[in-house]
Amino acid sequence: MLGFLSSRRAGLDDPLRLRRAESTRRVLSLQLNPDRDVDRIHGNGINTIDIDVVEGRYMLSGGADGVIVIYDLENFTGKTQYTCKAICTVGRSNRHVHKFSVETVQWYPYDTGMFVSSSFDKTMKIWDTETLKPAEIFEFETNVYSHHLSPIARKHSLIAGLISTRSLMCANWHKDNVFISVLSADSKVKVWDVRRATGSLFTLDQHNGDKSKASTEAANTAHNGRANGLCFTGDGLYLLTTGTDDRMRLWNSASGENTLVNYGKVCNESRKRLQFCVSKGCSPEFVFVPCGSSVAVYTLHTGEMVTMLRGHYNNVDCCEFHPDYQELYSGGKDCNILAWVPVLRPPDEEEEEADTKQKASDSSTNQLGGNA
Amino acid sequence: MDQLSELVEELTTSGQGELNQEKMKEIKKLCKVSNDCIDHVYHSVISQLNQDHSEIRFSAFQIASELFSRSHHFRTLLVDNFQEFLELTVETDLDQPLPPPKEVAKKLKSLAIKTVHSWQTSYGSAYKKLALGYHFLKQVKKVDFQDAEARTVAERRREEERRSRLERIYKEKADAATKDMEDSCKEIEATLTEMESCMKLLFPEFELTNVKEDVPRSSSPNLQLANISDPQPCCSKDLVNGPNQEELVEKQATNEEHNRELGKELQNPDNTGKNEDDDEDEDDEDQESSEEDQPPNEDFIRSSGLISHSYSLDLNLSSGLHVKENEDNEAVVATVRDLHRLITTKHLPAVQGWIQVLTKAGAEQRLLRKALDLKKSLEAALQKHEELHIDYKTRVRKVMKASSDGDEDDDDDFDEVPEKEGYEPHIPEHLRAEYGTFSISYKYFTFCYSSSSEPSTSQSTSSDEKAKDAPVVPFGLDIYYWGQDQPTAGKIIKSASQHQFWVPVEMEEEVENKEMAAESRSRYISFPGRFTPVSHFCRAPLGNGKLCQRQDRVKCPFHGRIIPRDQDGKPCKAEDRQREEQEEMRRRQEQPDWRDPELMRDIEAATGQDLGSDRVGKKGKGKKKKFPNLSDLKQNANTSRSRLEKKVFNKSSMRRVAEVMIKADRRKHDKFSNQFNYALH
Repeated sequence: MLGFLSSRRAGLDDPLRLRRAESTRRVLSLQLNPDRDVDRIHGNGINTIDIDVVEGRYMLSGGADGVIVIYDLENFTGKTQYTCKAICTVGRSNRHVHKFSVETVQWYPYDTGMFVSSSFDKTMKIWDTETLKPAEIFEFETNVYSHHLSPIARKHSLIAGLISTRSLMCANWHKDNVFISVLSADSKVKVWDVRRATGSLFTLDQHNGDKSKASTEAANTAHNGRANGLCFTGDGLYLLTTGTDDRMRLWNSASGENTLVNYGKVCNESRKRLQFCVSKGCSPEFVFVPCGSSVAVYTLHTGEMVTMLRGHYNNVDCCEFHPDYQELYSGGKDCNILAWVPVLRPPDEEEEEADTKQKASDSSTNQLGGNA
Repeated sequence: MDQLSELVEELTTSGQGELNQEKMKEIKKLCKVSNDCIDHVYHSVISQLNQDHSEIRFSAFQIASELFSRSHHFRTLLVDNFQEFLELTVETDLDQPLPPPKEVAKKLKSLAIKTVHSWQTSYGSAYKKLALGYHFLKQVKKVDFQDAEARTVAERRREEERRSRLERIYKEKADAATKDMEDSCKEIEATLTEMESCMKLLFPEFELTNVKEDVPRSSSPNLQLANISDPQPCCSKDLVNGPNQEELVEKQATNEEHNRELGKELQNPDNTGKNEDDDEDEDDEDQESSEEDQPPNEDFIRSSGLISHSYSLDLNLSSGLHVKENEDNEAVVATVRDLHRLITTKHLPAVQGWIQVLTKAGAEQRLLRKALDLKKSLEAALQKHEELHIDYKTRVRKVMKASSDGDEDDDDDFDEVPEKEGYEPHIPEHLRAEYGTFSISYKYFTFCYSSSSEPSTSQSTSSDEKAKDAPVVPFGLDIYYWGQDQPTAGKIIKSASQHQFWVPVEMEEEVENKEMAAESRSRYISFPGRFTPVSHFCRAPLGNGKLCQRQDRVKCPFHGRIIPRDQDGKPCKAEDRQREEQEEMRRRQEQPDWRDPELMRDIEAATGQDLGSDRVGKKGKGKKKKFPNLSDLKQNANTSRSRLEKKVFNKSSMRRVAEVMIKADRRKHDKFSNQFNYALH
């Protein structure tokens, strides 16, 4: 740490290196921390959470009972102990509350004045945060499993709503482009270009078109079971999918090629969408995947499992990474939202082991730098 | 380390509700040495918690809770794995229920919930996951920590449902009982009054209560009746005049010497039958004398029969009231008996049932009281009946005779038999024999005749003695055609086809079937032989010095063919003895003498060396139980059903049955495969 600081000060290093090294260290030391709590508002399982991109301060959560809660994550008290307060709630008493389970919530990417929620009551609502009233309600013929707002769309604000029949589970916008990828329950993942409605660009194939390995039905499928989770990496170069065959796969988002990274068995019993996330600004990057009653952390490119975050008492449905503070928030069927906070380095260690640590971190960062 | 895991295993497999404090202390002492020891203990405790036996889990949980309050390191370890811990102890995962035995599992669960609650209060703030687990139990699993039985909401609801259902059932039952009671209340009351009046007829002054009231009223204050509650002497007069005087058998051990004057008055009713005339005379005399002697205390004398107040009369009225049945009171006694039977078999059980139902359902007090009153009066009636000691014997015997003679119709017989009310008639030995032959001869009689021979009926008419022996057979075709020659018997006539143009192949129109012809004049009577109970014993010498008491007909399952043996159980015949000795020799050779477990144990005790006596003698009897203190889970499964299942569903027998069935199927197929109806099945 000190070495990084001094070299940073001397201008020997790219500022990014220090940042990467530190955030990687913090991610690796994520733990359930007694200092950080999240208010218990939900009386039922939590399906989805989202942290706003602009300030990184507000968190949305949608519950299986239709309730949506907004939390303040920022700790201004000056103490280490902090309980994230619920600022406002779209509770059961609210006139506009979703009748059934809320499946996805998302902030408007450029402003916290608006957020979008979709639910099993066949509606998608666009809410005004100030008044907690829906500004717009889209009604659909079937359940809405998922939606996604384009993160860069300043002009069009298109929402990839999964007006889905049962078969479509999840859709995500690519970071810089106009591609959407769509998961469907028949284990296929397709990538579309919004400008061309006639057909999809390509379909992800787990065997990369190698016909000898695939049985006839398994051709052009991403998973052997249903695919129910989808996530682009922070840089948009890769796409991650999870399926009920207990596998997670990493695809090249430009070519649709399976990178064949082996993550081992990623336990996945969910019948609905699985919300998982990828860290940002670390090196190597990490994937956080709900796995039964714990959250598994893998390195993205090697597929190595780093740790299991055990703390929930029931299935975990969603997790969200806070890019600024390297914190992880996870919600599950046990009605808890748990905050996984990096452990601060114990002060007494530094003097004794600073040297050894420094060497170790130096060597690791050198490698990382080489990668970057 | 090994010592630690050994200790943990010993503690957990003790099967006790409480931990052995000494061993526990030792564990704690060892744990103080280092954190590694705690790690080790933690892992062994968790592995014991994973065992499928609630007693092991219970003890392991107790160890865990002891250490939890002592060691921070143990706490962090346990809290890190708190999900699994809760699954194993509080049954949070419904797919993994707590293992048997049930009671211990229940105890474990409630103890675990209590303990988690106390942990939460003392350590909840410091250990985040503990607090989370506590909230999970409280809010998601809805465990009520105050509830003593530590039930979850679902369990409580289930319990409530069960109770309400039971209540509903009880209510229905109670309603039915009330209705029933209303219906049959009158009947019961009628029965009671009838019984009452019958008893009155049989024994006019049997109404004890009335007499009790009467006596004090009539007696003057200075009267010293030693035994006021005994009304018997006063009754003697009435008895004589009563309608049923003869059947009263009174055992009065009366009288001290000084009331010998009264002797004529206090009759011993045994004599009454003989000298009725005398009695009447004496009565007259009594009246006369009493009128003469004591004009002022006429009332007293009349009611008490005592001439002077100074008499003290000691009466020992025994329980021996006896009513004998004879021609005069036969009808009344019969009624009483019927009523008694009615009460004992019908009314009393019904009333008891009502009371049970009403108390269970918590019905109205009024109804319950009514039912109780009914029961009380019924029981009083029975008691009275008991006290009367009615002697039914004569009548009963008469009935028996009648039925054995065949005079009485079957109904009476039928009435008699199923009653088992204590006074069920004892069938005398000779009569029983008669019964037996009567039925057996009817059933197993072989009988055949040839039509050519002279009809047996003529024979039977010829002599009466033979008629007695003549069997009774059910009516049948052979008797119908007795002695007749039937030309058509056994002939099958096939009618020619009536069809216009469809003519079957030419065939005989009449076919004679010998079998059928024979059938019409013969009779098959099966005679399976008579069952003779086995009277001999196996009598093979047993290990404990006794003789085998099995009574098999031919072969004892333990000692083989049953052979005549002497008093010590040795075979009488030389060849048998030889054979047995040979067998004994062979057995000896198989297990040499010095392997005798008892001998070995003695040697071991003397020398202190292990010769392995434990292993010998257990051969073939299954393995020694690993943990003898734990309750055996398999034992519960050892029911007759499971044993049968083992026999019936084992592979070889299933295969055998399948083979037989396939064979049967195939046979049918071979025979009928050309017919579509069978071919399909």
